[in-house]
Amino acid sequence: MTDIAGRQPAVTRSAPPRHALAFGGAIAAIGAGAIVAATVPSNLMMTLLTQAVISAILATGVGFLIRQNGVVSFGHAAFYGIACYAIALAMRHGAVQAELAIVLALVLPPALAFLLGLVIVRIPGVAFSMLTLAVGQACYEFAMKARQVTGGEDGFSVSLPPSLFGIPTALFQDPRSMFLVSWSALVLIMLALAVTAASPFGRLTVAIRENEERARFIGYRTTLPRALVLTLSAFVTAIAGVLFTLYNAFVSPDVLHWSQSGSALIMAIIGGPRLIWGPALGAIIFFFAKDLAGDATEHWQGIIGVILIVVMFMLPVGIGGALTRLWQRRRTP
Amino acid sequence: MTEILAIEGTDLTRPFGGFIALKGVDIAVPRGEIRGLIGPNGAGKSTLIDVLSGRASHWSGTVRMFGADIGAMTAQRRRRAGLARSFQRTNIFPDLTVIDQLEIAARAAETPNVDEIMAELNLTALALRRAADISYGDQRRLDLALALIGRPKILLLDEPAAGLSIRESLDLAHGLKDLVARWGVTVLLVEHDMEVVFSICDRITVLHLGAILAEGTPDEIRRIPEVVTAYLGTSV
Repeated sequence: MTDIAGRQPAVTRSAPPRHALAFGGAIAAIGAGAIVAATVPSNLMMTLLTQAVISAILATGVGFLIRQNGVVSFGHAAFYGIACYAIALAMRHGAVQAELAIVLALVLPPALAFLLGLVIVRIPGVAFSMLTLAVGQACYEFAMKARQVTGGEDGFSVSLPPSLFGIPTALFQDPRSMFLVSWSALVLIMLALAVTAASPFGRLTVAIRENEERARFIGYRTTLPRALVLTLSAFVTAIAGVLFTLYNAFVSPDVLHWSQSGSALIMAIIGGPRLIWGPALGAIIFFFAKDLAGDATEHWQGIIGVILIVVMFMLPVGIGGALTRLWQRRRTP
Repeated sequence: MTEILAIEGTDLTRPFGGFIALKGVDIAVPRGEIRGLIGPNGAGKSTLIDVLSGRASHWSGTVRMFGADIGAMTAQRRRRAGLARSFQRTNIFPDLTVIDQLEIAARAAETPNVDEIMAELNLTALALRRAADISYGDQRRLDLALALIGRPKILLLDEPAAGLSIRESLDLAHGLKDLVARWGVTVLLVEHDMEVVFSICDRITVLHLGAILAEGTPDEIRRIPEVVTAYLGTSV
């Protein structure tokens, strides 16, 4: 019998994702977060860390979209801000209980993302980015103009009940306990995203990112998986919005502004969007660079810009990507 | 006895602005046949494959697969129905390992024959390599492997031997012929390597300027003066 190119024995499959190791690592990371919360003496530092971790969750959502769909969103502030306003408006108008408002805040952004995704994920590259920017800025303009509903550009304070899900609300507004809550959420989100990325669905979306046409010609519809990635990304972003609102008990249209999406994007690029943990690393670096640069000059954005340019030119895979390569190189004999 | 047609295109026309790439082409390939599709560059061979596989838009005519009209079906529905294709330019998933992409293809197929295809196409040793890191010849075989996953009923192959050495091309051709015999698959093969086409095809269709110039067995095609003048020269 003639084979096309000669027979060989069946291949040994690549090792399955080491889920047990990942779960162990997640528990260790949460434990490390608890040690940080218990030992860092400065409340100011804890506030900075809490803000950084909430932003890290936002950046992780933006980065996951880049990683799986290969597109850049300038509109994730919409998903973040809608989650913030869902809680704030529900509390302001007494429409529903706070717990239900939180659930709604977690459900509405991904639902919107899914519906939007069914239309816009077909659009490639820069056009996709511009569409997301337009959607985000439309939400921002609405929040600015609809003063009767949103309080306009002044924003408003969010009156939360004394307890949420049986937990004293004060714990969500204390930087130490909120750091631990946010950090734990970040670790669990990264674990869930890593498991998703390693799943058949995750690999299919990478295949579609790599070559959408070929994916169709091996029998896949490509719109739905891409829309689901956008949905998941928006859900992660909504978690960040909920944590932000619980921590600050205040919302304003700033949470919807494109610069919110832009900052998350910068964090993802600095850290390395092809890694699940890269955007989170980028967020931590971004916050500390911003704090240090802010002490030195009021033009701290310029310093962040220089960091971004250096990373993009010198480390196109981001700082996380470069660290990973270094680690792999050192492990290779 | 009536011959069962695996794939049939009737009055296929595909305009590109003012240029008409296909001018009312009729083609019918019986089940189990290897049909060669030859012609000079710009003759409309790849366009015909695109129309049959669901890649082309703005075309007119009828496409039938085992008698059923599939003209309104999307490419992915045609693939799931058993119509697979390869591409003129290597069309793979560069960032995925060889095995990952074959397994993704297998999940969409009723017959997930990944090990069989890797063995047939000598990809087993490359299974854990990123597709971007393997040689061009290996990438071409991977492209073909993606089409063969699931044991399709009909294969539309657009220059599968492009860029391969003479030896590799002939190995590929004879392997393909063997596979067709074993699987009973129908093949429509676009290929510029006349040695490959004339050695494995049951019949050959010659396209010229978007229309069919001739159709027949390899021996019949060799004897048609217009085909020899327009395309073959004296080499076959």
